Amino acid sequence: MDIISQLQDQVNTVAALAFNTFGALQRDAPPVRLSPNYPEPPPNPTDDAAEAPNTSEQPKLLGAGLVKAAKQFDALVAALPLSDGGEEAQLKRIAELQAENDAVGQELQRQLEAAEKELKQVQELFGQATDNCLNLKKPD
Amino acid sequence: MATATYPPPPPYYRLYRDYLQNPKSAPEPPPPIEGTYICFGGNYTTDDVIPNLEEQGVRQLYPKGPNIDFKKELRSLNRELQLHILELADVLVERPSQYARRVEEISLIFKNIHHLLNSLRPHQARATLIHILELQIQRRKQAVEDIKRRREEAQKLLKESLATLDGH
Repeated sequence: MDIISQLQDQVNTVAALAFNTFGALQRDAPPVRLSPNYPEPPPNPTDDAAEAPNTSEQPKLLGAGLVKAAKQFDALVAALPLSDGGEEAQLKRIAELQAENDAVGQELQRQLEAAEKELKQVQELFGQATDNCLNLKKPD
Repeated sequence: MATATYPPPPPYYRLYRDYLQNPKSAPEPPPPIEGTYICFGGNYTTDDVIPNLEEQGVRQLYPKGPNIDFKKELRSLNRELQLHILELADVLVERPSQYARRVEEISLIFKNIHHLLNSLRPHQARATLIHILELQIQRRKQAVEDIKRRREEAQKLLKESLATLDGH
């Protein structure tokens, strides 16, 4: 895949990771105490037993994934083969290459015509030679 | 159950009855359209240009100008994006009701990044054209060399055969 499509893909990946990160954190966050007047929210035993190892590690892992994706984007940007010529330099180069292409094309055409002429000559001579051979052949 | 038949072909075919005998007796094909045209009720334009961000109502975050340093702008937009994501996380913890503005800013940054990447496409197209032209020139030069070599070989063979026949 070309580099620009890879860059576009990487941006979309970063976006997906970002909203997945926030979605997961929001969904899995333990309840928070809003004010000293209200009692402490009751800890849900089944949740904690199943997710205790995950909830503490999750933000770190998700954050690390985001940062890794961003670093990959930077690496891809560094790999862009951008010459600083700009549009005019590219158009000038295209014009030069077109002129050279035309010249080489004409040279090719000339060589081709000369070769075809020589081929025709050789074929004619060959035909004459074989005719002579056949005519000179004495029947026994 | 009613089924609709296909529409009949346009009736212009009668004008081409004598086309084989006289190609000029029938009308020419219509010339290519230039400018804007309407197709099935939608407006299309033949001038393919990427619309500016302002035309789409999106604020442009990177500096305008004739030559943009794409790598630098993309990297700085990436940094801005990361900072805004952190800000969003912060806001969600401290003042959760103010998330909307932060989310809007993040989507603005994404739109800018995508617009920058899209404006790299014409550059890529020209670079591809340059590459193709170079390949074609190389192939043609190779063909010229091949033909020259074969002609010389043929000449050599003819001379040798002439020498053989003469010496016979």
